[in-house]
Amino acid sequence: MIRGTSWKAALGVTAGVCVLLPFIVPQYSLTILIEALIFGLFAMSLDLLVGYCRLYSFGHAAAYGLGAYSAAIILTQLQLPLPVGIVLAVLVTMVVAVPIAWICTRSTGVSFAMLTLAFAQLGYAMLFRFRDITGGSDGIVGIPRPSGPLGMTWFQGKTGYYYLVLGCLFGSYLMCRAIVRSPFGAVLSGIRENEAKTIALGYNTRAYKTATAALAYGFGGLAGALYAAFAGFASPELFFWLVSGRVLIMVVVGGAGTLIGPILGGVFFVFIEHELSQVTDLWPLIFGSIFMAFVMFAPEGIWGLLTRRFNARPELASADAGNETSDAAA
Amino acid sequence: MKHPMPLLECKGLVRRFGALVAVDAVDMSLEAGRIRALIGPNGAGKSTVFNLITSALKPTAGEVFFAGENITALPVHAVALRGIARTFQLCHIFPALTARENVRIAAQAREHRRWQLVGGGSVLARSAAVADEALEHMRLTRFANVRAALLSHGDQRLLEVAMAIAQKPRLLMLDEPTQGLSLEETDRAVQILKDLLSNGNLSVLLVEHDMEVVFKLAHDITVLHRGRVIADGPPSAVKADAAVRSAYLGGSE
Repeated sequence: MIRGTSWKAALGVTAGVCVLLPFIVPQYSLTILIEALIFGLFAMSLDLLVGYCRLYSFGHAAAYGLGAYSAAIILTQLQLPLPVGIVLAVLVTMVVAVPIAWICTRSTGVSFAMLTLAFAQLGYAMLFRFRDITGGSDGIVGIPRPSGPLGMTWFQGKTGYYYLVLGCLFGSYLMCRAIVRSPFGAVLSGIRENEAKTIALGYNTRAYKTATAALAYGFGGLAGALYAAFAGFASPELFFWLVSGRVLIMVVVGGAGTLIGPILGGVFFVFIEHELSQVTDLWPLIFGSIFMAFVMFAPEGIWGLLTRRFNARPELASADAGNETSDAAA
Repeated sequence: MKHPMPLLECKGLVRRFGALVAVDAVDMSLEAGRIRALIGPNGAGKSTVFNLITSALKPTAGEVFFAGENITALPVHAVALRGIARTFQLCHIFPALTARENVRIAAQAREHRRWQLVGGGSVLARSAAVADEALEHMRLTRFANVRAALLSHGDQRLLEVAMAIAQKPRLLMLDEPTQGLSLEETDRAVQILKDLLSNGNLSVLLVEHDMEVVFKLAHDITVLHRGRVIADGPPSAVKADAAVRSAYLGGSE
């Protein structure tokens, strides 16, 4: 595990490289980079549930879709400045998440996965029901990126938007990292390890799980909102269960319970998909094979493989949520 | 220490599972500072009584009072926060976390800011200090940074007791703390528990199979047989009780 100063150095170097990328790669490659970062953020948001609470949500597309559609409606109808619109979309997504999560956390395991899937599909169906607002199967097109506040326009161009997404990803990562290392995060690791014991210790675990789901939806909604404003449209596919499945695979392949792993998983898969889809139509087959290979031979994921090279012990989520109180206090 | 009102009082507890009456009209009370053992042959209903007190099961009839408050209808986590800590018959720990992290999460349950989302270094540090103290009581200090899954079965059971005392409970409930331990491990565990309980600050309800353990630790004994209380009193009286003898020796009624 990378600790202390070396962690900060690694983060700084990564941030530096990401900041310099627009000067290195051609403009058209920025599109795929932006999508990769957005999916990295999306996968990381699901990791809060999968990796830290062992809640396998199969409906995380709901977070993505909610964020995307909220942003689309806010930006097209209200013409609010882009940053304000995105923040509002995140808040809407979190508020909607609370009752959904409260209901879904009545159950665990497979039935939890099915309930989350059902809610995501419900959202999908509602897009066609409320055509006037959502545009039905056409979705919402021509989403603007209104300037402001203070007349800011830097995020309207592609390079500027890349930096906006990059900033959101780094900020979200630092927030999630602080969350999993906080007292709250310690309770989550208890829930993951033995929920019955955590309840017996005096924790209302359902409230913790609901709060975590709201956070996961918030970060997932941020990814969706960033995507909608970038692509300029929001379509029903964003709510579709294929999105939920893909992001779950990204989390597992990246390394659940590590935050960084799922980011890498998201980035990795967007690139693979992009490259393969240019070569062959059979890319979903290869996508699936990669997933199976990871599950069978490297269940700790990409990040686990990377850190295993540097450490005797791969970075477990427990260590991350765990004992470096001095680090958390600093 | 005399108390006007018992710390824990069970009144007419009944629990049915279908046609089976697992617990039948059990009255039991525990004064503060006392150690009461709940004993009885297999299937006597000891663990069910435990689960009724901690709200893990709801009684078919009857009530549980803790420090004068009716806690029968409270959810499990709320009962714990009232000051009742328990261990489980089948060891319940957090296997992938270190021993210190296990106990730290238990200690943190008492913190007002246990919800804190970001930062919270002081909460974690305070809880870790309580955890280290509890680990020391259970002589587990050298395993503080070892993952709980790697501890021996005996040490895992002591770890769960450490978690319970880190909750700083008013009532400590131990469900067969020596179950599955070797003779040496049992002796060691009993000695550690004895040291822990010797200062009389803790009130304890103990379920135990091993009669020797019970007679070494308990002030009072309640004997359950087929869901009913058949004897209640100090160890010497219970030892001599004819009904208890026949229940344990499997004599006909």
